Amino acid sequence: MSQNTNECISLREERARRENRARIPVKCAQRNRFIPGFLIGVVVLSVISLLYLQIDWLKLASRVPDIGEVFWELAHLDFANMDLIWSSLIETISIAVLSLLYSLLLGIVFGMLAARNVFRIPVLSVLTQSFFTFLRAVPTPVWVLLMLVCLGMGPEAGVAGLCVHTTAFFTKSFAQSFESIPDETIEALEVTGAGRLGIFCNAVLPAALSQIVAWSGMRLETNFSECAILGMVGAGGIGYVISNSLQGYDYGTAGVAILLVFLVAYAIERMFVKIKKKFN
Amino acid sequence: MQPILKFEQVEKRYPNGVQALKGVSFEVSEGEFISVIGPSGSGKSTLLRAINRLIPITGGSVLLDGQEVSGQRGGSLRALRRKVGMIFQNYNLVYSLSVLQNVLHGRLGYMKGVKGIFGLYSEEDKREALALLGELGMEQFSYNRAADLSGGQKQRVGIARAIMQKPKLLLCDEPIASLDPSSAKTIMDLLHDMTQRRNIACIVNLHQLDVALKYSTRIIGLARGEIVFDGAPEDLDDATIEKIYGTSRENLMIGGGGTLDDKTDPAYCA
Amino acid sequence: MTKRIPLIARDLKRLYTGFLIAAVVLFVVCSLLTGFNVMTLIQNGDAFWKFITEDFLPPALPKASRIPGVLSSVLVTLALAMSSTTVAAILAFFVALFGSEKVSPFPRCAKFVRGFATFLRNIPALVWAFILFSSLGIGTGVGFVALCITSFAFMVRAFVETMEDVSQDCVESLQAVGATFPQRVAQAILPSCLNGFLSWFLYCVEVNIRASTIVGMVGGGGVGLTLFSYIKSFRYDIALSIILLIAAMVIVVDQITSRLRKEILK
Repeated sequence: MSQNTNECISLREERARRENRARIPVKCAQRNRFIPGFLIGVVVLSVISLLYLQIDWLKLASRVPDIGEVFWELAHLDFANMDLIWSSLIETISIAVLSLLYSLLLGIVFGMLAARNVFRIPVLSVLTQSFFTFLRAVPTPVWVLLMLVCLGMGPEAGVAGLCVHTTAFFTKSFAQSFESIPDETIEALEVTGAGRLGIFCNAVLPAALSQIVAWSGMRLETNFSECAILGMVGAGGIGYVISNSLQGYDYGTAGVAILLVFLVAYAIERMFVKIKKKFN
Repeated sequence: MQPILKFEQVEKRYPNGVQALKGVSFEVSEGEFISVIGPSGSGKSTLLRAINRLIPITGGSVLLDGQEVSGQRGGSLRALRRKVGMIFQNYNLVYSLSVLQNVLHGRLGYMKGVKGIFGLYSEEDKREALALLGELGMEQFSYNRAADLSGGQKQRVGIARAIMQKPKLLLCDEPIASLDPSSAKTIMDLLHDMTQRRNIACIVNLHQLDVALKYSTRIIGLARGEIVFDGAPEDLDDATIEKIYGTSRENLMIGGGGTLDDKTDPAYCA
Repeated sequence: MTKRIPLIARDLKRLYTGFLIAAVVLFVVCSLLTGFNVMTLIQNGDAFWKFITEDFLPPALPKASRIPGVLSSVLVTLALAMSSTTVAAILAFFVALFGSEKVSPFPRCAKFVRGFATFLRNIPALVWAFILFSSLGIGTGVGFVALCITSFAFMVRAFVETMEDVSQDCVESLQAVGATFPQRVAQAILPSCLNGFLSWFLYCVEVNIRASTIVGMVGGGGVGLTLFSYIKSFRYDIALSIILLIAAMVIVVDQITSRLRKEILK
């Protein structure tokens, strides 16, 4: 008993001392101690990176006034080459849409194989997933470049190249959506004696449909901007018009093309926002 | 005695054309505990936010402690705002910070420059905040994340933050609308006791008629942006209630037995 | 009487039917416009396969003297992505504060800030790179600026959305307390949104690793340029090993960022 009171008193004394001398802490007892370290790490890494890159900032800064000039030139829109711009823009959009649709079908098939709860063959899922992880890790323009080498110039190379990356993306995200369906649902259908494919078509796919639409909308945005830059690495389309006219100092034409790319990308984004709202 | 707050013909029209307040006039003196009642959309929230200019008014004038609110900007507006504590339905705490930090936010209005930005509060403030948390029975949670508290506990932190401002007036925007009946009673009791003890005038927006009747010294009834009743709880009769809510008393869910004398525990009411 | 019994709600069904029809119409129109046919692709399959097995396989290493250069080009790509994302994130944070009506001290300007970000975002990074190349000349610095522009614009939108989701309420309460704008930022917005901001930042790092490879291809330097030069000189077997290197780099970075994200959101 007396020991207890003693302890109490010593505790109180200690607290009083703490209050008088040391500062009272205000922060959470259990905060995420990882974040400050992470922030410092990022800053240090970035500074090292900047030093490693050895960018000649002075030279860059001395040319900054030129940027204004280029934008001024770009703003003088020149509609003389509208035929060429239109046809290449339409080609670009078509390639983006076609690759999206083909990949949608492929993505559902491969997503089915990659999802762990559809066929329940773990080896199959792991193999599919790791293969597509590899495909996804290589940027799209690299695939298009390879396809250009293999198939020659033309829309085939564009569609095929874009399909590689898009299919890989869809496979991963669809598999995720399929796996988010509760096992109980699938079990309930198994009990009725339905086959694997039957369960997939009647339960798994419809449940994931709204997510599939959302993923496709998101991907269309990416596909269009990827497609727009393909021309710059050697394929056709609007990107070729932009890079060609910029290199030929035909800023008016480039300005029109860039403006159109912006407008189409913006329209797709707005459309996607609308669709998303409809689903919620 | 000079009134703390004075509304003179206050008008508020939102850009979308909705007239939220129409010629509202009233005065508040020290130590009053006023409930504002009225159906949803009657302008209760707008009325409260007009006082500390979270919503700017479009006509008339609001006088806080003798000073015009609507003309104030920058530093002088902040000086006015710190005289007015505010408690919200959704508690509006910074959930990733500790309870103590949230309470100390009440002092930000008094702090300048770097100290306020980095949250370097004085030891005196910290001691006061801890004492206040003790008074509210929350001392053991001082270093918990605000996110880990229950609804009633969060609202107690909200009260502590408002009291830390040393306000002359406390505004409560439906303080118990998101709470269960027993926490709601605790919060109302605490609000009542703390404001009476410190002689802080208090304006509470309420949906619960019986709670309003039990705690307030005065009730203001709002309907479609106009004051239709302003008086003591005893004078609130059935006809007036019908005028406020636009429907007769029988159609309202009122806690307890349903008579005006029945002042039992507060509960959910429409 | 013979009408079929619907299985799902009618408006939902109409929506899905609409999507299906739109997809089919788009498919037909686009196929006609480009003259693309899967069959030709499949018919060319043999040549395609031959090409892969003969020219690409097996992957070959570049000359031993070139290997350090290749590795340092990978480092350039990583450094480019890392530093440009960090610079962009810091700028985006300050700009995003003015991009939300509910948080900004000048609510009327919020629309313009967001509109500006939308404009920057919807023009691909490579187009920015080309515009800048024609004014600043080719080099790593320009790649850095181009990456900065797009990731800056992306993060402005992401940060504004995070702020409107998370901190709108506590900003109001600190306003009522009489806190200044910098105080509101440091005491309410930053603590409540930091996790979300960092998560978006990590996502942006992932995106920028890929983007910096591509910007490199057209003149920004780094591993993209190395790959491009091997493809241009028909050394496809070496190109394949560079591609594998790029894939490994991206996968490793993705693994690291997903680890970090878990730690941050804990």
